[in-house]
Order: sequence, then C-alpha cells, then structure tokens
Amino acid sequence: MPIFEKSSESSVTRAIISQFAKDMDGFAETDVIIIGGGPSGLMAAHDLSKKGVKVLIVERNNYLGGGFWIGGFLMNTLTIRAPAQKVLDELDIAYKQYEKGLYITPGPLACSKLIAAACEAGTSILNMASFDDLVLREKNRVAGAVINWSPVATLPRQISCVDPVALESKIVIDATGHDASVVKKLEERGLIKIPGFGAMWIEKSEDAVVEHSGFAHPGLIVIGMAVSTTFGLPRMGPTFGSMLLSGRRGAEVAYDFLKKKGH
Amino acid sequence: MTSSRKRVIETPLRYIDLYSPEYPENIELYPVKEYLESYFPTVRVAVKPPILKRIKEKDLDRTAEAIVRCRVKDPIKEEQSFEPMFAETEFEKRAATGKARLGGVVYDGRKFEELLVSILSKEFPLERAGLLFTQRLLTTFSRDDLRHHLRTVVCGFPCLISIPGVVEAPAKPREFYLLRQQLEARGAGELELEQLKSSFSARYVDHDDPRLGEVLKGLALQAIVFHLTLKPFCDKVKCRLFNAHWQEDLISSQIANKSLCREHRALLEGLRESPAITW
Repeated sequence: MPIFEKSSESSVTRAIISQFAKDMDGFAETDVIIIGGGPSGLMAAHDLSKKGVKVLIVERNNYLGGGFWIGGFLMNTLTIRAPAQKVLDELDIAYKQYEKGLYITPGPLACSKLIAAACEAGTSILNMASFDDLVLREKNRVAGAVINWSPVATLPRQISCVDPVALESKIVIDATGHDASVVKKLEERGLIKIPGFGAMWIEKSEDAVVEHSGFAHPGLIVIGMAVSTTFGLPRMGPTFGSMLLSGRRGAEVAYDFLKKKGH
Repeated sequence: MTSSRKRVIETPLRYIDLYSPEYPENIELYPVKEYLESYFPTVRVAVKPPILKRIKEKDLDRTAEAIVRCRVKDPIKEEQSFEPMFAETEFEKRAATGKARLGGVVYDGRKFEELLVSILSKEFPLERAGLLFTQRLLTTFSRDDLRHHLRTVVCGFPCLISIPGVVEAPAKPREFYLLRQQLEARGAGELELEQLKSSFSARYVDHDDPRLGEVLKGLALQAIVFHLTLKPFCDKVKCRLFNAHWQEDLISSQIANKSLCREHRALLEGLRESPAITW
C-alpha cells in the first residue's frame, strides 16, 4: 500500500499553473503592493491585511524575512527595544528581557512567526520576483509596480528578452531596506531628489526612522531602512524594533489614506 | 557712563524665559528656574510652553518648510542645498505641534535661531533672555575644520539648548570608539553594542539619564552669561561654564564639581543684584 495517493505529473503541473494563474490575476490589481518582504514590509502587510486591505508583497529572494532571521555577527538572537516587544506579544512570539527596555528573541522563531502572521492575515506573496519600474499616472502619482522574475536580472541583457509585467495598486510601499529601490527609481526619473545617508554619527536615530515613515511621494510610502536612505537619516545597524514600528506606522498611513479615499 | 573698554550697551536683565522642549521626556525645567534664580534673585524667571506650538495654523506649512531648510544633510557643507520633501515638511508640522518625536535629524543651530527670530523677534528685547530647550540636535559650522559639529548650546538671541546634544555632542571616551569600531568590524549586533555602552555608562551622560537635569542647569547658566557678557565659556575644566567637548569633562564640570571658578564666581556675584547686559 503506497503512502501517498496516486496523482499524475500533468495533474501536479495543472494544479500549480491554475492556482498561480488565479493568484496572478488577483495580483494585477490590488490595494497595496509592498516591495520587499523584510520585517518592516511583513509588519505593514500584516496590519493592512488584518484590516481587510488587499496586499501583495513582492520579494526578490526565494525566502521572506530579509535580515530578520539573524542578529549581529550572524548570530541568530534578535534584540528588540521597548516598546516594540508589544508587537511580539501581539504575534505570540516568545521573548525574554535581557535588561530594562531590551528584549531578546530567537531570529528563526520571530521571523517565521512574523511571516506566518502576515500570510494568515491574508497577505499575498510573490517571491523570486523583482521590482523593475513604477507605474505612474496623472501628476506622476505612483499607481503600481512593474516586476519581473528575479533570475532574469542575472542574465546578460542581450539574452534576457523577458519583458516584465505591470501590477496596478492604489499605494506602493518601498520596504527595500537601505537600497530604497523604489524611491531611487523615482530619482532616476527626476521626480524626487534623495540625499542618501547622513554622514554624522548619532547614537539614537530609530525614532527618526519611525517618525519619517509615510508618504515620500504621491502614491508611494516608504518604511524601514529605506526611510534612512530617502530622508538622509543616519545609517543604523539592525534595530529590529524600529523596523516593526516603522512598518506599523506605514500601514497606519496607508490605511488612513485608503479610508479617506473611500477604498 | 561707559568704560573705555566696553559697555557699548547697558541694559538691565529683567526676565528670563525658559521655553519647554517639544515634548517633556522626563525633562523638568523648574529646577533650572530655581538654579538661575539663585544667581539672579532680582530677575523674573518663567517656564513657558514650547515656542513652536504657538505658530498659527495658517503659518504652519510655511514654518515647517523653513524648519526643513534648517536641516544639515551634508556635514561638510556650510550651506545645504536641497528642496524640502513633502514628507519632511509633514514631519516638521507634526514635530512643531508636539505630535512627532524628534531624533536622528540634525539642524543648523544658526539657521534655526534665525528662523525663530524671524517668527518671534518681538518676544526678545535685550532685557528678556530667551532660552529654548529643544529635543532637536543642533550644529554650528566650524571654520577650523570646515564641518558642522553637534552642540549642546547655541548661543544667540534666543539661546538654544539641545537636550539630545548633551548626549551626542561631547565625545565619549576614546576607548569607547576604538572598542566599538572593533565590534562593528566583526559585525556585532545591538546587544554587544549595548553591553559596551553599559561598561562605559559612568563616563558619559546617556539619553534619559537622571543626570541630564543637572547638566541643563549649567548650560542654562552658560546661556545667561552669554546674554550678559557675550562670553559664555570658561577655559577651566572645573568651572561650570566650561564648554566640554568630551563627556568626561562635561561630567566633571557639570555633575562632579558643579561650581564656578573664582573669576566667574566673582563675576556672577557682581551681577547678582542688578544684572545688566554689558557688551
């Protein structure tokens, strides 16, 4: 007696294609596209999805989570500063207090639970897909993202004749980390001028990242480390608490906008 | 009657206004008020609400954009050239009304002072010294090494006192930076950096440090001495008017010692009953 039920290769192929085609059909028009599936992007996706907003995360890697799997020196203990441990409480992620106001949690646990929380809230994920360009509408309002499969970018231009596809959305969120790929695309087009990293060393800059999370351009919200690049704030190390709270702030701004517009 | 050396101007100092920071964050200005009153018993010292909160709704956009233009984005350029971004202006509108936390952003202290003067110049006749406590990081541009430096006090009319500047402006001990560089080079995380900071905690003042209040008293005194004499600082590290560039000197002058040198004690004794601006 075989362990698994019998199925043909063609059925397996059809199952994959039909579901993926259905998913892609839905992705073509969403409320919010989040470029980058690191901690800030996942957090924003979780919060928006919980409120019934249709969210798609576009992640260039096979895996989600970005740098949230590991802490400093490739050690997989994450540090979270108060009050961001409240997010861990909400997501039922175990942690312990290291000292007053500073908490530690295993990276694999926190990251996998954050991914699960976003997915369970209803976020759609398109991984191995890279941001290529923006969809722009009247007055250069950002209205979607042009994407392509990530492996295409590794091929020489001359033989990578794979045209991208465009997905429409009411809001795009740049959660691409220090690269700020989406914002930089606007800069390439001469629509925004970003200062890059602040060169002055400041010990405490997490607040600024959270506080500056929000619209950087009509239709485009910036969160996470991309905020540092966009606004020229001092470059920070892995401060995961601010990534979570920045994602949450971005979600609040996006939700308020959608609500005001009657979406 | 003016002396041959100075006294180009002589105006009595009657009022000192201490403007509260954008949000309190454990900062209490009443001890600063009492401290200044102990030196100037005839002057009326008042604690006032944050000055930017008084900006009218119709002026908020313009003022917020002007505040963005005070930002220092490139510390090696005296004049910054950039167009304020929409989100920066929105942030400054929230910050001006106390709805956003400040931090990480650096502002040119001179430009910020000019902005305040342009908004509120009538508030500051010379008989009234204005001290603005702020949660903003402030710089001034140094002609010595042609770059912006963070400051604790930006002397002017009004004087600006940066609360986070107390932590960020004076340098921590040299060993701290060397050890931190080593940790960062091998990719240390926040936890190890926090442990390093903890091991140096007695040698610098940190954010939310209970000693901050004591430091603010000395900085306020420096600001008032500037208002009266245009010479706010002393070169003696044991004097409260010492302009500390190192945290250990700040702790020595403001917390461990807390007193004035003989010359400045005599100066303030002389000004005690009838402080006057004598430039």
